[in-house]
Amino acid sequence: MANTIISFEAVDKRYGDTIALNDINFELEQGKFYTLLGPSGCGKTTILRILAGFTSATSGEIKFKGQKINNLPANKRKVNTVFQDYALFPHLNVFDNVAFGLSLRKVPKAEIRQRVLEALRLVQLTGYDDREIAELSGGQQQRVAIARAIVNEPEVLLLDEPLSALDAKLRTAMQVELRQLQRRLGITFLFVTHDQGEALAMSDEIFVMNNGKILQQGNPVDIYDEPINHFVADFIGESNIVKGKMVKDYLVSFVGKEFECADAGMRPDEPVEIVLRPEDLVLTDVTKGKLTVTVDTQVFRGNIYEIMSHDSANNQWLIHAVHKATIGQKVGISFGPEDVHVMRFGESEEEFDARLETYEGEEE
Amino acid sequence: MKKRFSWQNLYLIFVFALLYVPIFYLIFYSFNRGGTMTHFTGFTWQHYTELFSDSRMIEIVVDTLLIALLSSLLATIIGTLGALQIYSVKRPVVKNAILSLNNILMVSPDVIIGASFLIFFTFLGFKLGFGSVLLSHIAFSIPIVVLMVLPKLNEMNLSLIDAATDLGATNFQVFSRVILPYIAPGVFAGYFMAFTYSLDDFAVTFFVTGNGFETLSVEIYARARQGISLEINALSALMFVFSLLLVVGYYFLNQYNSSKRTRKRQRLEATQIK
Amino acid sequence: MKRFNPAYSFLYILWIVLFVIAPLVLIVYQSFFDISGHLTLANYQAYFGSGTYLKMTLNSIWYALLITLLTLLISYPTAYWLNQTKNKQLWLLLIILPTWINLLLKAYAFIGILSQNGSVNHFLTFVGIGPQQLLFTNASFIFVAAYIEIPFMILPIFNAIDELNPSFVNASRDLGATNWQTFSKVIFPLTINGVKAGVQAVFIPSLSLFMLTRLIGGNKVITLGTAIEEHFLVTQNWGMGSTIGVVLIVAMVIIMFVTGERRKKGRKGE
Repeated sequence: MANTIISFEAVDKRYGDTIALNDINFELEQGKFYTLLGPSGCGKTTILRILAGFTSATSGEIKFKGQKINNLPANKRKVNTVFQDYALFPHLNVFDNVAFGLSLRKVPKAEIRQRVLEALRLVQLTGYDDREIAELSGGQQQRVAIARAIVNEPEVLLLDEPLSALDAKLRTAMQVELRQLQRRLGITFLFVTHDQGEALAMSDEIFVMNNGKILQQGNPVDIYDEPINHFVADFIGESNIVKGKMVKDYLVSFVGKEFECADAGMRPDEPVEIVLRPEDLVLTDVTKGKLTVTVDTQVFRGNIYEIMSHDSANNQWLIHAVHKATIGQKVGISFGPEDVHVMRFGESEEEFDARLETYEGEEE
Repeated sequence: MKKRFSWQNLYLIFVFALLYVPIFYLIFYSFNRGGTMTHFTGFTWQHYTELFSDSRMIEIVVDTLLIALLSSLLATIIGTLGALQIYSVKRPVVKNAILSLNNILMVSPDVIIGASFLIFFTFLGFKLGFGSVLLSHIAFSIPIVVLMVLPKLNEMNLSLIDAATDLGATNFQVFSRVILPYIAPGVFAGYFMAFTYSLDDFAVTFFVTGNGFETLSVEIYARARQGISLEINALSALMFVFSLLLVVGYYFLNQYNSSKRTRKRQRLEATQIK
Repeated sequence: MKRFNPAYSFLYILWIVLFVIAPLVLIVYQSFFDISGHLTLANYQAYFGSGTYLKMTLNSIWYALLITLLTLLISYPTAYWLNQTKNKQLWLLLIILPTWINLLLKAYAFIGILSQNGSVNHFLTFVGIGPQQLLFTNASFIFVAAYIEIPFMILPIFNAIDELNPSFVNASRDLGATNWQTFSKVIFPLTINGVKAGVQAVFIPSLSLFMLTRLIGGNKVITLGTAIEEHFLVTQNWGMGSTIGVVLIVAMVIIMFVTGERRKKGRKGE
């Protein structure tokens, strides 16, 4: 890739016997919005800290525009960080916080002033320059932290769960704002979060992580629609996951029946897992449904009804329905072949991509 | 307003009286023409003029202040660096070991510090006097500075250091532009405590002084053992005023620093309400 | 902060070696020498062999206990009620202010107040009891020592009460406890660490207040501190003085260990 700006090659990080990162490989392109998504302790913040230079990798190479930067100290790297707790200097006011990096580099006073005010304008904090940090709300502090980072014109901006301290409404607003800011600046953002909704809403590309490994990389739609394994399917969105068997190409069996599906390229009778998203399940009559379930509970969520039900084999089924059902009643559920997502056990991302190519080629 | 009287307040008044009566008693008799601390016979400035013409006493006051200023300054520098060292130690075992060593002089009785320092100086063949007193005062002031600075370091958010480095600060710039301003109140409090420790010390100085060098405490002890001298009363009045100014000054400086922001915020809130 | 250069703290390490470790080692070393400089165990034999020293030690501990108890009795209510006043920080400052007055001056004041024809005796004469010998008594020593130590006891207790979450008190009342039950079952146990810190701050110095025993106690009370001062500065028997010093250090370590251990447990429980 010509415009690759950051690359990690076989990066490991160990603390004593604990493995924090295990063989991390990825590339970031210029001007895109990337998200590292995973539960806490999965290693996503470690990647950020290695990239920023706060900690070093045990092995592997970190490259910036093709140059190895493993040993470059943090204060020499052209990346800046927005910290989870903002890390605004309490003894400096808003202006001096934003001006901090520029003043260290002995940028002329007039230029500092102009650039700081411009950065504050970008984060919509015009007129707040002489406020004390303690006087700002959480959302405002968040913006100052962003302004302080972008005023240095970094080529990559690292954001470590920057929205986690905000309330739900403000968080949604900031998601939109961050995305707009990234487009306007045209620089690479690497965003860390454990909130899958946030990741799906903002990113060009998502890296799903668990236990120090990147499990799947792709754009939000791909990751949502084609989760590679149980963990990803469960972590991204809500899922019904059942055990099944691949009868042959485009035919899978689960809960004692056979169903059409859109997957192929597996061994006959290979054991697999099936993912059905709750919003893909449609409530219908028992006679018309592909599956028959009994409704257990029903919760109204405003736009949908969240229905929990079970089938005769006692598998739980979560359904997002537009119309309400009656508790205790038997209903049918239907779905299309492309709603059935088949996952093989232990398949890596490369294998998955390779398999996809073989039969998608056939179709065309 | 509800009734102000209560047994609680009476008790508090009693305790305050207990604490202050002896001090005011001293000051009161410093104006006694009679020359005793028991019968007040008339007002006079005589004991103050005597005090100011007592060149030996003036010299002792100057020496005491010099020791206090120098020892607290040096103890603050060494103690702050020590706190940074303790803070940077990662292994809890080592950290606790250093902290325990640090606190030994904090909890040791004065006589032990005095006696052991006396043995130490004699062992080295160090001449007792200004030098030994100064070194001793630095020594027993260092731990208090460490204990004042360390909590500030510990409460400092580690990501502040990361943030400064991230924004391009060198190690020295991180120290001078982020850490030092942050811990400044602790350093200042440490200096102040060290200063008062030094002014107040008697026992340690009593052990390690020699060759005619004296601080106020030692001199007061010597004179008090000989009986009442109203010159000491006059001196105590002056010292009380001095301490009062010092404490009130420190208090208001602290108040000013912490309220500067509060006031500004109140002003802003007031404008927002409009 | 892994980047801190240890070279800067050279002076601090030097201080630990020269002024913390070396004097401790030297005082132990010195305790094995007699007055004429011979290596001997005689000092320890004298200390543990003769009743005089042991009696003096017990005496000293007894007085320190009395002083600590008296100080605690006066200080706890003061700290408690001080917390309920308006401007409590200002009042606290006024409690601490006397500690900035030189200890010797305060002792000196009591020489005047308690003397044969001082103010207290004037008062006693006035109410018809007649003048009493007040100065140079054991009681006067305890009283003046307590007077000097009170602020050091109030401060930690005040802080402990100040940090006490008022919800606990409200919860206790809500659950039907009387004021006294709230105090004895909730407030006091939760502020016990403040009391311990205060006891630590008062008890150890009380063992060594030699200037007070001289100025106020009139040499009737001999504490460990007095004995050490006597041996070092009067009789010049440094070996014996050091031996008593070592005993005092051991006593101190025991007290620190006992209070420290409990505090650790308390922290774990929180």
